[in-house]
Amino acid sequence: MRYPLIITNAAQMHIKYKLILPLVFLLSGIMLYPFIFSLWLSLQDYRLTRINDVQFVGFENFGFIATDQSFLNAMGNTISFVASAVIFELILGLSLALLIQKLVIFKGLVRSILLAPMFITPIAVGLMFRFLLNSEIGIIPFYLLRVGVSLDWFGPELALFSIVLIDVWQWTPFMLLMFLAGLEALPKTPFEAARVDGAGRWLTFFSITLPMLRPVIVVALIIRALDAFKVFEYVFAITRGGPGNSTETIMYYIYQTGFRFFRMGEAAAASILLIIFILVFVILIVNLSRPKVIK
Amino acid sequence: MIVSFENRLSRFLGTTAIFIAIILVLFPFFWIFLESIKPPSLGGRPDIWRFEPSWENWGEIVFNSNVPLNILNSFFIALITVVISLICGAPAAYAFSRFRGFQGARYSILAAEMMPPAILILPLFLLLYKLELIDSRVGVITAHLTFVVPVVTWFLIGFFDEVPKDLEDQAMIDGYTRFQAFYKVILPVVRPGLAAAGIFGFVLSWNDLFYSLLLTGAESRTLPVAIAGFWTFRGIELGKMAVAILIAVIPVLILSYSIQKHLIRGIGGSGVKY
Repeated sequence: MRYPLIITNAAQMHIKYKLILPLVFLLSGIMLYPFIFSLWLSLQDYRLTRINDVQFVGFENFGFIATDQSFLNAMGNTISFVASAVIFELILGLSLALLIQKLVIFKGLVRSILLAPMFITPIAVGLMFRFLLNSEIGIIPFYLLRVGVSLDWFGPELALFSIVLIDVWQWTPFMLLMFLAGLEALPKTPFEAARVDGAGRWLTFFSITLPMLRPVIVVALIIRALDAFKVFEYVFAITRGGPGNSTETIMYYIYQTGFRFFRMGEAAAASILLIIFILVFVILIVNLSRPKVIK
Repeated sequence: MIVSFENRLSRFLGTTAIFIAIILVLFPFFWIFLESIKPPSLGGRPDIWRFEPSWENWGEIVFNSNVPLNILNSFFIALITVVISLICGAPAAYAFSRFRGFQGARYSILAAEMMPPAILILPLFLLLYKLELIDSRVGVITAHLTFVVPVVTWFLIGFFDEVPKDLEDQAMIDGYTRFQAFYKVILPVVRPGLAAAGIFGFVLSWNDLFYSLLLTGAESRTLPVAIAGFWTFRGIELGKMAVAILIAVIPVLILSYSIQKHLIRGIGGSGVKY
């Protein structure tokens, strides 16, 4: 019996291609196709309200987005959010990892407790802190007021900073996890040599630990920063972008444009600008850190 | 002595720092639990610490709300997502780990993992809308696969890398085909890795708000979307929200505790090597 060409080809295919076939099909269907659809979408005037009247508009959407004040504002908010959250988390995570390494007892227990926040659904974290920090029913402002500190955590000045704090609460554990793994993988000999030579703790840290951790730091930084660019849940749970638009992040902007104002074309254009921005960011970080990467 | 520093001051500071960190992590859980067992008349009072515990909120949520349905939806969606991810991801991860010429493929898995949901949600929404799959579990599963499949595959590559090649060479000398060697010899060896990757994928799907928010309706609503509904512009139901949050959080904490060691290798391991 003769099979059609495509089937005989498949039967003779090298086993390594057969093994990846299901994944390739799946990812083409659920990622590649939507991605290309998104590219197409960004060139159309596509409103959810008039789905049968779609027009090709070229790069008009990109022009609109690039000059839209609220897009630029959202981009600015997101960048300051990502920068401050990630730096906080990096320093805190590294310090905690070094401390946990020094623990003599309860090491496993302490690690498990401190890692817990990263597994929780972010919307629950957002609502928990909306409750804890609420100026009328929140316990933190309540006791702060008793000692004479009056802060409006979700007011115009502090809202973005509060969201950074919430992100730090939830995601410092991720940095901790990475650095614990990184520290464990470090070879012992350089440290012993340093001790024999009489190097102090700080000198050892800055001239041995930190340089040897560099690749882990770079990877942790990239993963966490890319994840932080997607921040949505805290904003959705707490401020919905307000007060004013002081906490509107890029994901929230895209969500609003696409699903509140039904402008799918503009939303697609914004998401593509986001991807380009992220790509540039990653390439920059990788290149900046390359010369000294230790493999 | 809890921390091993040479001098007393650093020892004291180190212990204090760890202590503060633990309190900062645990306090929100403690307070939300307290809120969940406060009688509704005392709900949202920051000055009340001691009261007669009441299980009214828990009863309301368990017997008199949609939350049990939301839990079922979340569970079902996460489970199917993970099963599909493992079926497609495991053979591919094995191939990436064992055969030459897949360097680029490894990086595209990583790139897929980094894809912002913002770019996929618009086309997915439109496609599911045309297929009349908005407010269906199938729709949400499709969306969740976009981030669970890459993560699971990425994890598994790391686990396969750790299995010595002699194992399947021996099996093939014994007369197994390559596929049989993979299926009957290697897969059982990486079972802990499959479990860890599966559990991690489950947690990711269980926790998702963004896709579920836009793709579900009354029928297929997942737990995170339901939780968001307890505090809206229309009103606040603090006690019930606290219960729902705990229900969403507790199983995940238990599950993730069981895979912690593997997680360090899964995220850390393959990331650190990069």
